[in-house]
Amino acid sequence: MTVLLLSHQWKAFWRSRSTGKSIAIQIFTGFITLYLLSIALFLGFSLPTFLMKFFPGQNIVTVFCGFILYYFALDIVFRFLLQDLPALAVQPYLAQNIKRRELVHFLNLRSLFSFFNLLPLVLFVPFSISAIGHQYGSYTALAFVVVILSLCIFNHFIILFIKRKTGISIGWLVGFFALVVLFILGDYFSVFSLTKISAVLFIALLKMPWLCGVAVLLAIAAFYNNSIFLNNNLYLEEMTKAGRQKESAEYTWLQKFGNTGDLFAIDLKLILRNKRPRSLLLLSFIFLLYGFILYKPGYLNKDQLGFVLLGGIFITGIFIVNYGQFLFAWQSTHFDGLMASNIYIKTYIQSKFVLLTAFSTVALLLSLSYGFINWKIIPIQIAAYFFNVGINIVITAYFATRSYKGLDLSKGATFNYQGIGAVQWLYSLFILIAGAAIYLPFALLINSWAGIIAIGTLGLISFLLRDWWIDILTKQFIQRKYQILQGFREK
Amino acid sequence: MITVNSISKAYSRKIAVDINKLHIARGEMLGLVGNNGAGKTTFFRLLLDLVKADRGEILSKEKNVSNSEDWKSYTASYLDDGFLISYLTPEEYFYFIGKLNNRSKADVDEFLKTFEAFFDGSILQSGKYIRDLSKGNQFKVGITSCLLQHPQIIILDEPFANLDPSSQIRLKNMLKDEHEKNCTTIIISSHDLNHITDVCTRILLMEKGIIIKDMQAASDTLRELEEYFQVSTNTISPSATN
Repeated sequence: MTVLLLSHQWKAFWRSRSTGKSIAIQIFTGFITLYLLSIALFLGFSLPTFLMKFFPGQNIVTVFCGFILYYFALDIVFRFLLQDLPALAVQPYLAQNIKRRELVHFLNLRSLFSFFNLLPLVLFVPFSISAIGHQYGSYTALAFVVVILSLCIFNHFIILFIKRKTGISIGWLVGFFALVVLFILGDYFSVFSLTKISAVLFIALLKMPWLCGVAVLLAIAAFYNNSIFLNNNLYLEEMTKAGRQKESAEYTWLQKFGNTGDLFAIDLKLILRNKRPRSLLLLSFIFLLYGFILYKPGYLNKDQLGFVLLGGIFITGIFIVNYGQFLFAWQSTHFDGLMASNIYIKTYIQSKFVLLTAFSTVALLLSLSYGFINWKIIPIQIAAYFFNVGINIVITAYFATRSYKGLDLSKGATFNYQGIGAVQWLYSLFILIAGAAIYLPFALLINSWAGIIAIGTLGLISFLLRDWWIDILTKQFIQRKYQILQGFREK
Repeated sequence: MITVNSISKAYSRKIAVDINKLHIARGEMLGLVGNNGAGKTTFFRLLLDLVKADRGEILSKEKNVSNSEDWKSYTASYLDDGFLISYLTPEEYFYFIGKLNNRSKADVDEFLKTFEAFFDGSILQSGKYIRDLSKGNQFKVGITSCLLQHPQIIILDEPFANLDPSSQIRLKNMLKDEHEKNCTTIIISSHDLNHITDVCTRILLMEKGIIIKDMQAASDTLRELEEYFQVSTNTISPSATN
């Protein structure tokens, strides 16, 4: 039975509209996946060499041991953001003569086919076998492989459980994020070190390979926990959440802005009530933490600000890029209606500008707290903000007037290539080039701060010219209106 | 009110609409009939400037609809669920459309009260987003949002198709009322010959993008139309159904 169900999934994958849509995108995704996997495999095999290079004089196995837990901690966060719940796949079968236990079994098995489960195997197993097997014997190597497999499965099922829980109650979501932020802060400010904990645990494993049983138990516990939860919650209504009462919401504070405010409210509801834009919003919040990676004291003290600026642009601009790449396409399913109702096109474009600026401003305000690390971050962050609201938004809107592909709001965001065409890839590149083209000449000829000032000033000037930009974009939009409409109508 | 000057639109060489001259006067109730592919929906899209005409122009109050946005303020339309914002509740959608046409929330609430029978308790306070409503109820939301605008022109594509019988009759009465009270120009299409001859004062019969008959509704209009469709099924069906 499970095999039969899995074969249906196989068909569903190959026959889905988004997969079958364009052979080019399929080949592209295939290549990217293959590329990533081969890089991982290469890394896996050359890990000993790399470790020896980067950590000269240290025992590479010890270094490796310190790294494992770090990887799986990151893995949890990425899984939370990117891993899909295969819940809906089971819906057509619920009313059929199939035992519930079998369906749960199928859901669990089906979920295992994920890129995230392949990656650690490719990355770590070669090393475990070659380096550890070489030094500590094949039993220890086997224990390592077992631990890595178990951790992988543990992460997999625990995140499925957490994701299902967070889908039901907001408390779990807040709790999960609070925990992640605490871990990141704790590690950044060296309250504790994940590396050291990891090293201690895995070096113990080297000495006592039987400890791998603990990891296996953890994995089994996570698996059963998830199965029991699924078994008790395998009802149609909860799966689709159709039973939940939908409330009307009025954002009265937006009403004083006239039709621009009304359109803004519609966009806000679009983001909050649909899966794909909602996960993009979540992703943008995660990107706020990017500063902990790029705002290194080393760069700041030496006034090498390129990376810090890049971080600033990411943090205040990620929403503009993520949401703006489908600026109009988000509304493709009701674009006919929008264009036929009493909205002036200029007002429509204006509302998009306001929306992107608002989100960028929120990101700026939140990220200003990085100033506690170093005051220099604040002016850089503000310059990056002006680049984003002044220049990035204009580029975004311009590319949006040239994007004729619609998309389906209800699908998840990750590995979803629906609505993505050459324009989108070009566009992200274009923004990075635009930023570099302004910053680099000044930074190289004078100094980093001159580059920052240049980017901030140009951004501000462009921001002040906003009405002029909107007029130009409105003309661009009107020229391509029919093409956009036709593209959005073809689903 | 609306003047069509030799407009034509083709999709990959197949003619969708080709109308030489058509004038629609204020307060007319115009019905479009014709088999699938006759070009009714494309004609509506041309009226609403949603597709680009290959040649010709459509004037609404003497202004070309593709050069001016003025028509938007007095034209209300509902062609398909592509006009509804799927992730809003029906109330939110009505308030939104109301706001766009300068009608306050209280105004809209007052207006919606008269629709209680039409909604039959399954639209307002249903606790659903529009995307979760049935096709028929979605249509009701779309039609109501048109009437809510107090427009001078209403354009509806097959409004009777998804409604239950009592709603169809209610809709007919609502359209007639609206026309009587405000002298609204109403343009609808339908496959239901009974309804359309009952509501409309003028019927356009379309075939392959061309208006082949333009008749003022009279007592024998229904019979004439029935004759046409009878004949056309006899003659066309072997080749048209492939």
